[in-house]
Amino acid sequence: MSDSSATVNRFESFSVGDVSMRSVGVHVVMYGAALLFVLPYLYMISTSLQTQQEAVSEGMHWIPDPITFAAFTNLLTGSLIVQWAINTLIIASVTTLLVLLVDSMIAFALTRLDWPGQRYVLGLIIASFMVPGFVNIIPLYILIADLGLLNNYAAVILPFAAGPLGVFLLAQFFRDLPHELQEAAQLDGFSNLRIYTHIILPLSKSILTALALFIFVWSWNQFLWPLIVLQSEAAYTLPIGVVVLQDNFTYQPAVTMASALIASGPLFILFLLLQEQLMSAVEMQGVT
Amino acid sequence: MSVTDRFDGIKGVISSDSRSRKELIEGILFSLPYLVIFGTFLLYPLVMGGYMSLFDWNAIDPTQSVFIGLENYAQLMADDGFWNALKNTGYFALLTVPSILVVALGLALGVNRDIKGKGLLRAIFFSPYILTVSVTALVWIDLYSTQYGMINHYLGMIMANPPQWLQTRLTAMPAIAMTTVWWLVGFSFVILLAARQSVPEYLYEAAQLDGAGTWRQFRDVTVPQIRHAIFFVIIINIIWAAQVYGQPYVMTSGGPGKTTETLVMYLYQSAFSQRNFGYAAAIGYVLTGILVLVSIANYYFLGGDNE
Repeated sequence: MSDSSATVNRFESFSVGDVSMRSVGVHVVMYGAALLFVLPYLYMISTSLQTQQEAVSEGMHWIPDPITFAAFTNLLTGSLIVQWAINTLIIASVTTLLVLLVDSMIAFALTRLDWPGQRYVLGLIIASFMVPGFVNIIPLYILIADLGLLNNYAAVILPFAAGPLGVFLLAQFFRDLPHELQEAAQLDGFSNLRIYTHIILPLSKSILTALALFIFVWSWNQFLWPLIVLQSEAAYTLPIGVVVLQDNFTYQPAVTMASALIASGPLFILFLLLQEQLMSAVEMQGVT
Repeated sequence: MSVTDRFDGIKGVISSDSRSRKELIEGILFSLPYLVIFGTFLLYPLVMGGYMSLFDWNAIDPTQSVFIGLENYAQLMADDGFWNALKNTGYFALLTVPSILVVALGLALGVNRDIKGKGLLRAIFFSPYILTVSVTALVWIDLYSTQYGMINHYLGMIMANPPQWLQTRLTAMPAIAMTTVWWLVGFSFVILLAARQSVPEYLYEAAQLDGAGTWRQFRDVTVPQIRHAIFFVIIINIIWAAQVYGQPYVMTSGGPGKTTETLVMYLYQSAFSQRNFGYAAAIGYVLTGILVLVSIANYYFLGGDNE
């Protein structure tokens, strides 16, 4: 990087001062933008630690005075937020495991085995990318109700697992794995099941991790569909629970912000720990 | 186990015919779990939705539903509520898609420069994307609040009458759009940054030797080199915008005066408030049609481009 800018300096006889002025400008703009991006977080944290009076008073109080955890204790004692957190965690975890399992199995069958019709199956799955999720809301709701799955975790998990994203990403990755390994394993008498579990899956750890994170975050954050099929308050997930709380605790910003922090905090911690993998799952989607 | 494995392996080498039958059976077995879920919870509802849209659907007793052909679609064409929702959704897309593209591209090119703390900046710009829509909406309701909100607190210092963001017809949708840009821009930013980083540096060196300045390098090198990523970002954001629901649902409930009621909200209303399932299914199909056209247009634009 610095090499190429040094070259620029030598080629164009610009003064060093001009380039560094520009560099300062870039830094100011980018860090200014970064500050704008984090202001809502700072507001969330600060407000959640304020008293009710301070939170609704005029002006900005970035440093709460006094700092109080009243909003959090209010929530823990006066709402079902813990139950919702458990629901959300279960739904997101099971969805992630299910998607990894069934998507990697079919991706293996579509790319590493050779059977008639596999091209059509893959084509059908990829074509389903064009179907926007909400089109299915009405018939899917009737189906879920008929199956007796309303208020059940499965009502959220199964329709999500039907999505094509994981199949698509894994099929692309599996296809590019070297075929020599598989052939050698076949000569050694490996069954296809063993090739799947002992060769393909271990070679795909990076993409499986990235996909798992993305699916986990995405299913944790689902909003419209859980709102429709989870109708009893005890079955809510955090994203729909926090909206109900805002109605129950009207004009209590401290409580609302505390609930927002609880609803998104776990994902933020996950993000801080594994941001590279999560962002690489996004990058992979751009390489189509 | 290993004996039969080896036997299968030998058999595979000897008889390719029985091997290909075995691969067919195994292929189907490996595919089955996903295909069952896919068929039940994606394909079946898709077909069923099309079928329902041809009926005056009876939610309580489906056997009492009356076949009405394309009547639902005809009604839709004459329904002011539908056109209003379509117009609002289009307006939302018009506000968000270009803004997200410009902001994401600007941030990506900035982070790609010789700048300190690249990793930190990348994480910050991406981070709102991991929030759920309701949390995003709740935080921004407070930021926009006319009584204790942060935005008007600071705007009040430089202007006399800051806007009443979510409460006026003129500003409600732009306010929702601004929130959406903050929330979703990280996805497009990461994709454009990755695309920019994979452009070979020698292209820029060659352009500089030709005397190309920053703008010419951007126009003649960067944009053509990352055009696939740009198209992808545009398409995916159009698809998201067409399905916008959570932000207006939480922030304005479609108001004021239905100026922020979107298509998915209208579909939801038709189905779950008015119990008009066939009609709602028809709305879903119309929007799918629009999105399929967008996808085809995208394919057409990129068609004949075999790089």
